[in-house]
Order: sequence, then C-alpha cells, then structure tokens
Amino acid sequence: MTTTQRRFSIEDGDLNVRTIYSSRDTSYSDLDLSFEENSIGDVYKKLDAAAVKQAVKNIVLCNYGEKPFQPFFGTDIRNMLFELFDFGTSEDIKRRIRLAINRYEPRARIREIFVSAEDEVNSLSVEIIFEVINTSEVVTLVTSISRLR
Amino acid sequence: MAKTNINPSDLDFDGIKNKLKDYLQSKDEFADYDFEGSALSNVLDVLAYNTHINALTANMAINESFLETAQLRGSIVTHSHSLGYYPTSMTSSNATLNLVADLSGFVGDRPSTITLPSGFAFNTTVENVGYTFQTQQTYTATDDGSGSYVFVDGDGSSEIKAYEGAYKTKTFLVPSVSDLRHYIINDVSIDTETLIVRVYENANTDEYVVYTNIVDAVRITDESTFYVIRETPNGNFELQFTDGGNVGTAPAPGSKVEAIYISTNGPAPNGANAFVAADLLTVDGQNFSVSVTTQAAAGGGGDKEPISSIKFHAPIAYASQRRMVTAQDYHIQITSNYSFIEDVISWGGEDNIPIDYGKIYISIKYPENTSDDTKTETQDSIVQNLIEPLGTVSITAKFIEPIYTYMGITTSFDFNPSLSGITVQATGDRITSKVSEYFNNNLGQFEEEFRRSNLLTEIDEISPAVLSTKIDVTLNQRLTPILNFVKTYNIIFPVELAIPDDINSIITSTPFTFKDTTCTIRNKSLSNNLEIIDGNGDVVSDSIGTYEPTTGEVNLVDFSPQSIVGGGSFIKFLAIPAKQSSIKPLRNYLFVLDDDLNVSTGTVDYQKTRVSI
Repeated sequence: MTTTQRRFSIEDGDLNVRTIYSSRDTSYSDLDLSFEENSIGDVYKKLDAAAVKQAVKNIVLCNYGEKPFQPFFGTDIRNMLFELFDFGTSEDIKRRIRLAINRYEPRARIREIFVSAEDEVNSLSVEIIFEVINTSEVVTLVTSISRLR
Repeated sequence: MAKTNINPSDLDFDGIKNKLKDYLQSKDEFADYDFEGSALSNVLDVLAYNTHINALTANMAINESFLETAQLRGSIVTHSHSLGYYPTSMTSSNATLNLVADLSGFVGDRPSTITLPSGFAFNTTVENVGYTFQTQQTYTATDDGSGSYVFVDGDGSSEIKAYEGAYKTKTFLVPSVSDLRHYIINDVSIDTETLIVRVYENANTDEYVVYTNIVDAVRITDESTFYVIRETPNGNFELQFTDGGNVGTAPAPGSKVEAIYISTNGPAPNGANAFVAADLLTVDGQNFSVSVTTQAAAGGGGDKEPISSIKFHAPIAYASQRRMVTAQDYHIQITSNYSFIEDVISWGGEDNIPIDYGKIYISIKYPENTSDDTKTETQDSIVQNLIEPLGTVSITAKFIEPIYTYMGITTSFDFNPSLSGITVQATGDRITSKVSEYFNNNLGQFEEEFRRSNLLTEIDEISPAVLSTKIDVTLNQRLTPILNFVKTYNIIFPVELAIPDDINSIITSTPFTFKDTTCTIRNKSLSNNLEIIDGNGDVVSDSIGTYEPTTGEVNLVDFSPQSIVGGGSFIKFLAIPAKQSSIKPLRNYLFVLDDDLNVSTGTVDYQKTRVSI
C-alpha cells in the first residue's frame, strides 16, 4: 500500500512566496539534483511526474561509460555534438532516446520526440513528450545540448 | 533499526549498491532508488563506487604485502630482497667465434704480434633485426709467416667470446655522510653479471678499487669490498654499498663510483650464427679486415627472472641459505644464477637407479637450439662458480641429459551434431589442438605430471555437443639401434607399466626390417616376454627379450634390425602405463606430446536411442 503524502517540487516555484494551488498523492520521490536548500534547511525533493522527468533527463544526458559498471547506460548523444549533423542524425538520436528510456525508465511511455539542430549556436535541442505511466500525466521535457568551446 | 550491514571489504559494486537499496527500502523518505535514471540512483552509484574502490584498494594492498599473493613485479622483487634473494637480470647472449686477420698486404715489416682490442664489435641479424656483439677482453695473434693472424686468448684458445649488447658507464660522486646515497642505474636491460664497479678515491685519480658482487661472497670482513645490485620497484637497478662498518668498506665521501655494464636485448639474439666484423682492425695506422667464423651460435641470452619463478625460488633460496647440500639446493642455486636455463632437476645418488652414493645428479633443460659448447661452458661454470665454493666437499656432481618420454593421446568422443554448428571432424580437430595446448601449458618441465581428468575437463568444455570423452594414453621411448649389428638394448619408461593381459599388447613397436621381413615387436599374450611378428601376425622370433611392469624396463636381447621402415633413425617402443589417470615422470624424464599419436575419433550420437527388447 502506498503511503499518501503531500509534497511539492522546486519546479512549482518559490514555495515561500507563491500560493500553492495544487497538490496530489505521491508515489515517486527523489532527490532534487539541484541540491537547493529548502526552508527547513534540507534539500528539495522531486515527486511524481517531476521525479520521472528528472530521471528521463538524466538518462538522456548520460553518455556511455559514465555510470559505473553499466557501460551502455544513457544515450551518448552529448558525444554526438562533434559529429556531422546529416539527414540521419536526428533519427539516430530519437532511436537512442527511445531505446534508453524503454530500457531504463519503466515509468515513462514516450509519445513523441523532436530533435532540432541550432546550427548558429552549435547546439542541439531535444523535446521529449512522454506519459507517466501510473498517472497518465503527460510531461514535456525540453533540453538542449551545446558545445562548451 | 534500518539495515546498514555493508561489509567494507565487499568488492562487488552491485552487491554494495543493493545493500544501500536495502537500507533505503526500510525508509519511506525516498522511493526512487530502484530506477536507474533517478538522482538517488546516481548518489547510490557514487557511494557504492567509493566503497568498491576503497575495498579494492585495501584488498590489493593486503595482497601486495605478501610474496605469495603479490601481483606487481615491484612488490614481488622487494619481498624477495627481504629474503636475501636477488632475482636475475636480463642476460646477454654470447657467441663463440674464430677470428683471423689477413695482413699480407701490410706495407713495411709486419709486426710479429697484433692485438684485438676489448669492445671489438660484430654485426649479426636475427629475424631481420640487427644486433651488435662485442668482445670483453683483448686478444693477441701472431704472424704465421704468410701474414695470417689467428687471435687467441691468454690460454692459447682461439675460441673468442663475443657478447651481445652495448657497454654503458654510469658515474656517481659519493656525497657526504649526511646525504642520502642512492646510486640508481636507469636501465632495465642491464646484465648484472657483466657489471664492473670501480671506486676511485677522488674524481681526479686514475687508480681504483674493484668492488665485487656480494652474492659471490664466501666470507665478509671489515675490509671486504662488496656491492649489492638490486632491482628497484620500477624495473631499474640500484647499486648499494655497506655502511663501512664491520661488514665491509664503503666508498668514502668525495670518491667516484663507476659502474660499467652491458645493456642487452636478452634472448632475442639467441641463435645468431652469421657474424661480420663491424670495424676494421688498425695496425700501425693501416686498416685490415677481420674474417669471422662462427664456432658456436649465439645463446644464453635471457629475460629478467619472471615473477612466478621469483615467488617459487625466493623462499627456497632463503631456506637453502646459499649452501649446496640438499638436492633442492642445487636446483635453486642453478636456476637463480643461470636465468636462460629452462628447468633443472637434481637428485642424490642414493635415489638414482642404479644407486650411486657420493654423487649429486643434475639434469638441465636448455632452450631449443642451445649449442653443445654453451651447454659445456654452462656446466663448467656451475661447477666452478657454484658447486666448488658452496657445495659439500665429498659430493661429486654428475650432469646427465634430460630424457624425453613421448605420450600418445587417443581421444574418443560422442558427438551430438544438433547441439553444435560445427561438424564432428572439425570438433575432432579442436580436440587435438586442445590436447596440444594442454601439453604446452602443463607439461614439458621436470616433475610436471599428466592428469587425465584435467585434460578431459578442458575437452568437455570445447562444445556442449561433446557428450562424453574417453582418453587412452600410451607412452613411447625412441630407440636408435645400430643396424645389422647384434646388440642388447635397455629401454626405460619412467612409470610402472600395465601387466600383460590376453586382449591388448602392453608393449608394441613401430615397424622395422628383420630377416628381410617387415616386423614389429609385441609382448606375448598374458606374458611379459617379447616376440617379433610380421605383418600377418606370424611369429618371426619367439623371444627377443622381456619387459618388467613394475620398473618400466624393456630389455631387448641380441636385437639386430636391418633397417627402419619409413626411413627414420629410430624405432618407437610404445607402452601402456599401469595407471593412465595420473602419470608423473621420475628424475630426468620429461613428458612431451607425440604429435603423430595425438588422434581423436568422434561418434555421432543424436541421443534419440530408444531401448527396445
């Protein structure tokens, strides 16, 4: 039986000044990777869809070989920044993301993935629309990857 | 209470992480530890990896602390030093040459005697790689009247030794007493046997005192001049002296230490047999060529002592205390001083057959292509440098050649083709290769034992299609008879042989011609008497000898073959050992595979047999 709790994510804004307008039961709870400090001096949490969204982002941005003893964890798309962006690249990226999320994130069901190159700034924009399976909540994750130099 | 049972010495990353998950499972704060993409999983990765690395480091540090378990050469060498054992360095290959200078074209009066300087170089090639050999001392030659000069050493021998490698010199100035004294020779290829250490009183004098290696010391006094040369953890070498107390003198501050040595290529130039002089010989300002004839090909070059050998020898060397009393002492002293030797076995005369009290028997296995000259010199050197100074006075050493006993392996296996993508023939080939590999890895040295079950295990692992395997073992010794000459021969198998039965012949031979007939030898049914039979199985000679199962001896009496069928130089005598599952050679016998008798036969079995009555 899942314990019913009410929690809020940092993504809902500054909870000290903002009116809380929604809350719901939670079953997924994770650390907020920003490690921001909340009002009681603890780190913020990620709950439910936000937790899943963070996990999906982690998987997408993880290169092969980064996770200990799981050499093929992630999508390795950051390594593709230095590849030529040709007609097959975006499909390749989509395939990698789909494969990684299907394999490592059972809470998310992908609906759509959009990949676009922003040539002027040497970056890649990825938009992933997925559904959190046990809530049917649809979440959109947009992230961009760009070269540092 | 939450579960926090994490073993700090647990090495497995997943095991550590799972224990952390177990801990979180007992808490309700975070629930996403099971999802690999979660932040919590990343944190657990860091924690588990940290524990894993700490455990691995601790484990490795403990392993490296003991000679038995250490893996790094630096650790093993250091442990061996603490036992007073100094692993052998690389050794320089050497060749024996005859050198003649032709001065018939000399302008003016030819000198009666000429000198070949130390360091005179010769070039050679092995497998398209060039090497340089050079002399280590001066040689002289006298005019034969026609201008031909043959170089000889101080004893008048024309066998000139040339050593592979480059001479190098390292010079140190001895610092004051308060400074740390480290004399590091940055060369991993040094042949420490060639090291000459000279100590000059100061940097400006030409007079020096030669220091000698402490491993050659029989007695040490306060006036002894010894050095220690030891391998450093990074593979280079360090020269050490005593503290100048009652264990020998030490170079004084301000003096100069000169280390001269050969930097070698180890075993790579072994086998070189064509040499040309690299330089012209200068006599009274005129240059002449030196012609070179190879008397003994290069040999004796070796690598640094391998770590397996150090692990084995260091504790025994410590136990033997540089004495040569027991048979094992001879083994350890010879192998630790002659690194190019592949293996040595020694035993007392009381254990010999026939018994020979007062003797120590030594058998040395040399690398292939070692010349007879090198073998003789090595044995002389062992006697002179080891046995005489370290051995017991009343014991005489006797060197004998290793004897090879050949093994025939007949493998029969059941094979289910539906469990494999390869054919029964190809599987048979893999099995014969596996047998060869087993022999290469496990046999060929003294006292190495054949274990059939180990070989069967390796064969069974080749493929799941190999359902069952059976191995029959035969041994064979090779007799080189004097043809058309009546002689009695004694062939010895180093194991107990099977007793005669009425099904198989325990002793058989390969064919030879006898009384103008192609014949073989076998033992009679239920008898240890031997007979000669022709190709039809008819007896040509009723009694040609006997075999003794318990001692493994085969005696051929008045045997006179006319020729050997197939044109070889020997007749193989095959015997079935009494115990095929485990065969251990005695004394100077070694087991090697007879490639002609490495046979495998497969029987196809689809495992669909139905028992019907």
